[in-house]
Amino acid sequence: MASTDEELVARSMGGDLDSFNQLVLRWERPIYALAYRVIGREEDARDVCQETFLRAFRALSGFKGQAKFSSWLYRITLNLCRDWIRRERRQPIAQAPEGVDLIDLASESTPSESIEDLVARKEIGQAVARAMAELPEEQRTAIILKEYHGLTFQEIADMQDCPLSTVKTRLYQGLTVLRRQLERDKPGFMDPVRRRHHV
Amino acid sequence: MCNHELLVSYLYDDLSDRDRAAIELHLRGCAACREELEALRSVRVDLSTWAPPLPELGFRIVRKQPAREAWRAWWTPAAGLAAAAVLVLAAAASIAHIEVRRGPDGMTIRTGWSAAPARSDGSLAETGSSVARDVHLSSAPAIDADTAKEILRRVDALEASMRGVSAVRNASTLSARSADAEIIRRVREMLSQSETKQEGELALRLAQVIRDVNAQRNADLARIQQGLGRIDAITTAEAAAHRDLANYVFTAAGKQK
Repeated sequence: MASTDEELVARSMGGDLDSFNQLVLRWERPIYALAYRVIGREEDARDVCQETFLRAFRALSGFKGQAKFSSWLYRITLNLCRDWIRRERRQPIAQAPEGVDLIDLASESTPSESIEDLVARKEIGQAVARAMAELPEEQRTAIILKEYHGLTFQEIADMQDCPLSTVKTRLYQGLTVLRRQLERDKPGFMDPVRRRHHV
Repeated sequence: MCNHELLVSYLYDDLSDRDRAAIELHLRGCAACREELEALRSVRVDLSTWAPPLPELGFRIVRKQPAREAWRAWWTPAAGLAAAAVLVLAAAASIAHIEVRRGPDGMTIRTGWSAAPARSDGSLAETGSSVARDVHLSSAPAIDADTAKEILRRVDALEASMRGVSAVRNASTLSARSADAEIIRRVREMLSQSETKQEGELALRLAQVIRDVNAQRNADLARIQQGLGRIDAITTAEAAAHRDLANYVFTAAGKQK
């Protein structure tokens, strides 16, 4: 049976490097995804991901286990992302691929999904990335942590050092702005309300 | 909408049972909230289409080999002794850079690394950054004849001794050189024998390969020949059958006419 994060952390603290590398293997994808969605650049997200694990390794003795190991990693990542945004003095960019590669798309498709549906899904994904890049950092981060990493409101509040109600407000405002942006930006978008009136 | 926070909690299903019951009750009577909830759910569906790229990551923390251990890896007692010996020799050579010279103005014993100073007044001579202590023992009236003779005798003995050492050293060098030459000659001889042997083996193997290739080629040719023969026989038989059929058809047609 696979060891839990807590067990691996305990063994890592005892000097077992393999245990820490198991944690890296387990968490590198989510951490990379978080960094990528927050800062929007593949190479920089990779650097942030690498730096996150280096910092975690160096600071492991200071990890007291009050929070989950994953929350601790997320916090380090978000701090690094914030440093990156401050240093680069710019909003994250939505990296859009130059074209849609049908062969790549076909490899991602599910058996029930047509290639047209797949292309449409990619285009919506790009529209979402563009709309997310326009959001203020706090709203964007709150949505990313909730939507893609399944954190509770309380965990997000702890991570953003703000009250619970602020997290909910950020989420509501962020989602509302996204909705408007997508109405404008998404190809053939029609929100459910308008769709119903249209029919 | 009456309570956005509650709506968001309901959207993500992150609320208490009591709050859930309250919002569900509210939604039944509030069309605006129902529409908003539906729109936000639709945004969530759209959000699920945004996937990050999947690069090869494979990060690993690797402990750096401490420099001290790397030093130990090659540091052996023998290496240490050799290094110490070199240091001692260098120091000794530096200290004992002794030059004994006998000239028209007497004998000079000189230690140090600087060039000999032009003056010969027996003082400390400083040349650039290096210091040379020259001690001049001249045949001045201050030294009596016996002492001078004794010194000269000893210097002669020293020189004779040095010549002897030099001769032994030259002899041993010559001996070592001849031993080296012998070793080189033997190694060359062995290499030459080995090369000859390898060439012979290579020639044998090549001949074997050529024989194998030829045998295979002949076998293939024979098989092809057999195959062609069979095809030829079949073709001939089929041509005969066609000819018979054509004859039969012509005959039948002739009879009908």
